[in-house]
Amino acid sequence: MKENPLTYAPFSESSKKTYTLVELVKGSPTVMTDHGPEDTVFAFPVVALIEILLSLGVGLLLLFMSLSVNAPLEEIANPNQTTDPAKAPWYFMGLQEMLEHGHPTLMAVALPSIMVLFVLAIPYLDNSPKGAGKWFTTTRGRQITRNTALYALLAMPLFILMDNFFPPRELLRGIVPDFVAQIVIPVIVLGIIVLLPLVILLRTKPTAREIVLVVFTMLFVSAVVFTITGFFFRGPGFELYLPWNMPGGYSPFQNL
Amino acid sequence: MSNFVQRFTQSRVWRSFFRHGWPDNPLDRSLVMTTNIFFHLHPVKVSRKSLKATYSLGLGVISLITFLVLSITGLLLMFYYVPTVERAYSNIVTLQTMVPFGQLLRNMHRWSAHLMVLVVVLHMARVFYTGAYKPPREFNWVLGVVLLLLTLGASFTGYLLPWDQLAFWAITVGTSVAAYEPLMGSTIKTFLLGGPEVGQEALTRFYALHVMLIPLGIALVTSIHIWRVRKDGGLAANQAPEEKP
Repeated sequence: MKENPLTYAPFSESSKKTYTLVELVKGSPTVMTDHGPEDTVFAFPVVALIEILLSLGVGLLLLFMSLSVNAPLEEIANPNQTTDPAKAPWYFMGLQEMLEHGHPTLMAVALPSIMVLFVLAIPYLDNSPKGAGKWFTTTRGRQITRNTALYALLAMPLFILMDNFFPPRELLRGIVPDFVAQIVIPVIVLGIIVLLPLVILLRTKPTAREIVLVVFTMLFVSAVVFTITGFFFRGPGFELYLPWNMPGGYSPFQNL
Repeated sequence: MSNFVQRFTQSRVWRSFFRHGWPDNPLDRSLVMTTNIFFHLHPVKVSRKSLKATYSLGLGVISLITFLVLSITGLLLMFYYVPTVERAYSNIVTLQTMVPFGQLLRNMHRWSAHLMVLVVVLHMARVFYTGAYKPPREFNWVLGVVLLLLTLGASFTGYLLPWDQLAFWAITVGTSVAAYEPLMGSTIKTFLLGGPEVGQEALTRFYALHVMLIPLGIALVTSIHIWRVRKDGGLAANQAPEEKP
């Protein structure tokens, strides 16, 4: 019994036809059409040499630093005698500086937690693989980052100075509840300062990458400003001074 | 010379150490990477783009180097240090004045610790600004944030150990911040310090965290972090579009 070969057309078992159309698949081609020729080198010895050179460089730098500057060691710990100023390690000075500008739960717990959660969420907020592996991704990204950084470098020291000389929690004591002076007002003021560049950006139909560039730059530069202020500009009584003009012979470098 | 190298690398002793010949050809250069536990975190071949100094600035490697310096100097410091309120401070004084190179050892440990925190933060900024957190590297970014927090924890717990005024009041200030957490604040602080204020219990806990728990955590997560760099296709520079000449 002979079957009509046409009914089998796509699935022919004919020995003359060795290929068949099974399915059409969407996706990128298996040949790398968009890529140039592979530009690779053997990791050995190039990468190994780079690592050895970096180790030597870092080792020498540390050795030189350690030969020239001694690690600080003060008197033995005495719980009955407070140091003035009492400072946290330098990388927590941003936090300690924040404490000067609002309610501790807001400044030392809520805002830092939000920052860490935002940083963790970055790759899930900006989840397009496009533009990876290039500084600032685009020229526009570079401009956005630069403008935001300059703005933060101006706005944050100004906020610290204003809040230091006209502190709402002192000036409004007895006029409004502490809750307003220490939480509501700082949230509104800081919220406006931090979100202003984002609001401006959102008017230009930004990509997700540009949004996280603005927010991260704003938070990162602010953290740097607060850390530097706390470490270099806070002296006895945790008051603001110029680093080279501290009273009582105090030097910020004592606290390294 | 080449005759000597050949005889040397074909000797039974060399062959028992290394399962490859002298790495001057593609096969042996591949085998160096795949048969050596220290090298196997590297790929066999790397793209020239990812080696560009202005791309990565070498910050990840430098973080690892500072961690290794800290492990070595820290281990040596452990030979001289006893974490008790009575002895900790005098141990440090003895180390600095009586032990050969003791002051240098402590200086190295201190400055590497500061450098590590700084470099890890800069590394995070570099990864962010080059967009290297983008898929498929999301989880490695999360691991990186965990490593940053572990680094801060390692440095902070170490800060108490000299038991001088600087250490005592820095940790008192630092842990009092934890108490502002509205629900669990005082519980967290008591858990960290082992009591209401900084004392022997706190020193014991910070020491255990500093020399054992946190470094183990860093070593483990760093291994996963570096392994994932390979699994995700090397540095993100490889994904960058071709530069048009």
